[in-house]
Amino acid sequence: MQTLTMRTFTARPALRWLVPLAVLLVVLATFLATTRASAKAPLPEISAQDLLVKVADAKVDGLSGTVVQNADLGIPAIPGGSDSAGGKLTSLLSGSHSMRVWYGAPDQARVAVNDEYAETDVIADGSTVWTYDSRAKKATKTTLPADAKADESQRKAPAGAPQTPQDAAKEILAKITPTTDVRVDPEVSVAGRAAYDLVLTPRDSASLVKQVRVAVDGENYTPLRVQVFGPDDKVALDVSYTDITFGQPDARMFAFNPPEGTKVTQKAAPERKEPTAAQKKELQSRKAQADRDTTTVGEGWSTVVITKLPSDATGSSNATLKGFLGQLKPVSGSWGTGRELDGTIVTAILTDDGRLAVGAVGADVVSQALAR
Amino acid sequence: MSAAEADVLEGGPSTTTVRRGRALPLRFLRSELSIIFGRRRNVALLAVLAAIPVLLAVAIKLTSDGDSSGGGPGFFEAITSNGLFVAFAALAAELPLFLPLAVAAASGDAIAGEANQGTLRYLLTIPAGRTRLLLTKYVAVVIFGLVATALVALAGVVAGLALFGGGDVILLSGTTTSLLDGVGRLALSVLYLAACLAALGAIGMFVSTLTEQPIAAIVATIGVNVLMFILDQIPQVAWLHPFLLVDHWTAFGDLLRDPVSTDGISQGLLVALAYAAVFLTAAWARFSSKDITS
Repeated sequence: MQTLTMRTFTARPALRWLVPLAVLLVVLATFLATTRASAKAPLPEISAQDLLVKVADAKVDGLSGTVVQNADLGIPAIPGGSDSAGGKLTSLLSGSHSMRVWYGAPDQARVAVNDEYAETDVIADGSTVWTYDSRAKKATKTTLPADAKADESQRKAPAGAPQTPQDAAKEILAKITPTTDVRVDPEVSVAGRAAYDLVLTPRDSASLVKQVRVAVDGENYTPLRVQVFGPDDKVALDVSYTDITFGQPDARMFAFNPPEGTKVTQKAAPERKEPTAAQKKELQSRKAQADRDTTTVGEGWSTVVITKLPSDATGSSNATLKGFLGQLKPVSGSWGTGRELDGTIVTAILTDDGRLAVGAVGADVVSQALAR
Repeated sequence: MSAAEADVLEGGPSTTTVRRGRALPLRFLRSELSIIFGRRRNVALLAVLAAIPVLLAVAIKLTSDGDSSGGGPGFFEAITSNGLFVAFAALAAELPLFLPLAVAAASGDAIAGEANQGTLRYLLTIPAGRTRLLLTKYVAVVIFGLVATALVALAGVVAGLALFGGGDVILLSGTTTSLLDGVGRLALSVLYLAACLAALGAIGMFVSTLTEQPIAAIVATIGVNVLMFILDQIPQVAWLHPFLLVDHWTAFGDLLRDPVSTDGISQGLLVALAYAAVFLTAAWARFSSKDITS
């Protein structure tokens, strides 16, 4: 023991603790350096309008990558279990999800949602759409009508719609600039790629949405990330590629053969038929009714939409809805009583007499809109 | 002892020490391994680990009437179609508690066990130095973790193939591949999980240097493991999850995707490396400056 103390490091044993501390600091520094990495060289400046045009014109010859979605919308879980299709979908409203994406052509794509020890795949090869659920060992096969492609090309843009991307970009900007500050940040990095960030900042401070950022690849003009910021710059929604490779994926990715022991359900694609006169009439009357039942209060980002729900929607028979509403905070005001959903970027109040008020604003504003 | 020890600490130039040190590690490691694998407690743990896949396979064989309806925890639904999945299901089932328990038992015992039996000071008289002693003990713990994981997989493969047969393997993405490919993926899963458990072993080594009660060290290590699993289930601390060691353990399932999803696994390995580095150096700082009184 005596000689121990003679050596430098051992002269003061407490100094040894600096080693694990240094290792910890190196780990943290590496982590920060990799997550906060910014673009190596800023991209050339570009106006918001030019950027929108480039995005509209962008042609991607295929890509593969991983998309991670983080959502903190503050919406409570909807009961019904995660086994139901609805449960699977609504589970995307909260937490972190990772999916792998392959894209070959507009009608050739594959999305694989990675679950723990399980996977859900959607594969489209142009003529067939497969879904595969590894846990349930179930697959569905939807055969697309042979004329589906021709159909799409026949569908014309409605009259009055902008014809060129330039016009469209101009129109979009003209519509949103009165309420929104639009700028382009050329110095972001997403999935290791230099990108432009289209930053939309609502001018109205009453809105719960503080900022929307859409990152666009600096080379291919493919959207790489969408972020929505709520109060206190909290990220309410973040959908972004964590890695992306441009180039045609292996053709194998778009071929699917249901493995042995899989229950395959055949589904026919819904046929597109011209609606009959009676159907058209009913649609129109429904639309008119909906228009009468819906009012908006406020404008721009702080618009509150108030809808009178059809009486059957809030019927007491719907157990799922009842269970969901039971989780919400009861509120009351001069407009009556109801239940309030306090999301991160959205507030909704469902009154007991069946009116639904929704807005990207605080509860007080929604309540005021109802009282009007 | 002191000269050799100091030389190891300093990376000293004394040739005699170096030569003696070269010959020593293997012998030293062998004796450490014989201590770990000789403990009746550890042998019993290994037996339990190996029994679980067998139990699992028998239980599923007895209850399934040939129909392969889905459901159940990880990989259970695939067992009836291919016995190889007994091994994957067993790894998934033993991952939260049994495998960590084995590693905690070996690592928590490493230093505290010697201290408790009063053999630590005699051990320190061999010309190896405390750093080398600690490292050798850690390597033995890592080997024990690897053996435990491989044993679970092996017992699963044997029981599964005997009861359900082999054949082509259906991956999570719905791709069918050969049995050999499946076995290769199982081997990679075992290596990945052994690396993850090695990081837990480093935590166990650190705890073991803090106390002279081996049981306390084992319980504390298991406690840390369970605490991390609980935190990993709480959505309110989602920001913490990527930093938890256990959060990435289930990523071994990514090896069964087509193509293999490497994100989770590489993250898991990096986190494991970070934990191992921090806690091993902390164990070193504690152990090499500790007064050994027993």
